[in-house]
Amino acid sequence: MAWILKTIAFLSPIIGGFIYGFERIVRARMQNRQGPPLLQPFYDFVKLLQKRPIQVHSFHSMMGIAFFFATWFALSAFLCGPNILVGLFLHILAMAFFIIGGFSVLSPYSVMGSLREIVHLMAVEPLLILLAVGLFLVTGTWSVEEMFKYPGIPLVYLPLVFIAFVLAIPAILKKSPFDISEAHQEIIGGPEVDYSGFFYEAIYTAKWIEYVFVFAIVFLFTGANWWLGLALSLIVFIFVNALDNSTCRTTFHQMIKFAWFFLLPLAALNIFVLALWRYVL
Amino acid sequence: MSIRKKSPWILHYNCGSCNGCDIEILACTGPKYDVERFGIINKGNPKQADILVVTGPVTKRTRARLLRLYMQMPEPKVVVAVGACACTGGVFRHMYNVENGVDRYIPVDVYVPGCAARPENILKGIALALEIWEKKTKDTIEIPTVIKKEYEKIVAKMLMHGQVVDRRKIIYDLVSKYIQRKLETPKCD
Ligand code: SF4
Repeated sequence: MAWILKTIAFLSPIIGGFIYGFERIVRARMQNRQGPPLLQPFYDFVKLLQKRPIQVHSFHSMMGIAFFFATWFALSAFLCGPNILVGLFLHILAMAFFIIGGFSVLSPYSVMGSLREIVHLMAVEPLLILLAVGLFLVTGTWSVEEMFKYPGIPLVYLPLVFIAFVLAIPAILKKSPFDISEAHQEIIGGPEVDYSGFFYEAIYTAKWIEYVFVFAIVFLFTGANWWLGLALSLIVFIFVNALDNSTCRTTFHQMIKFAWFFLLPLAALNIFVLALWRYVL
Repeated sequence: MSIRKKSPWILHYNCGSCNGCDIEILACTGPKYDVERFGIINKGNPKQADILVVTGPVTKRTRARLLRLYMQMPEPKVVVAVGACACTGGVFRHMYNVENGVDRYIPVDVYVPGCAARPENILKGIALALEIWEKKTKDTIEIPTVIKKEYEKIVAKMLMHGQVVDRRKIIYDLVSKYIQRKLETPKCD
């Protein structure tokens, strides 16, 4: 069990690359196009290695690389560490590297994108903490490895938390209704605007690792039933892509309102009822 | 390197075209021609782009921006001029506000004719550009056409005096001087 998680954490850039390639195909098919080959992200990877990197200043480039390693480290801590919260907090730290890098250059797109990235953190992270609490209430442990050994299905006890999490996935992965921090037609990618060549590669790959992070959380909702988890993440994957293709970008006010006044109460209600049922009744 | 050829990212810039060619370029990304199956993405960011697709005769307002975008793209890079306007000035040739084509400002690798250029032609032009792109490396030095004469003069002078020539720096200085001059006096000169 533990070795599977360790392998996933170690190979997460490659797994994430495949997920991203598959996603690009699915998205293209939804738009009635053929789409790129499955290995397209890796072709991009090789291409970016052969470009001349233009550095704005060395601190900015270093923050890009730190973002990649911190994300990878956060995922490893999440999967193999003793406590799910450590993984979530390290994930916030990784985003902090990205944000500081975005603030350190003069480009207005980059600064604007970093500001919006902070809004993303504000909207999503409380929900992730509540999710961890909910999983703890059901499984009785903080360790992800133990959670994967839980024989029941936590999804049955945490339906509202799951719905809230699925609706928050677009904000974590920067997808369409909530892609305000990397609005591609508006602020040209936000904080990643000034990275090029090898340094953009780090950002590009870190995004793939986020996919593994998100789908690992989806897997947590099915406990030890891995086949069910696979089916569930496939459904979530299709749903998120359909949402991405069929909605337009919201403003950050709308995102914050949706996250704080709809998603958070939803998750909190579920946890409240569960705690009452567990400890009081 | 054939892998590199599989993921060209495009930067599209409109130098005052009538939008006819731009719509044809956008048609290439639609379901019918679907350039994404070749890995081509329309990136709005010059620092991550490989192919600069320019439409329109260069107007006096856009020339400094065109140069700036070109300088911001990291090597190896190629330029595709799409449409009669971008090649020669087209219907706008010799008008008081245009510069008769892109190649007076930046070196163009592929010219795609037609008013408006058809999507098939644009795809063919990009395929030709990819072959040229494959031969370039990250150490290729590209000299914008406007400053070429000045650049050659400076390099010849420096070589005569036996100085070390930092070609990129010379190009960068000349272009930024040029851009500043043009942005300060945006009126017709
Ligand atoms: S070539 Fe023709 S269609 Fe294209 S921008 Fe020029 S005038 Fe418009």
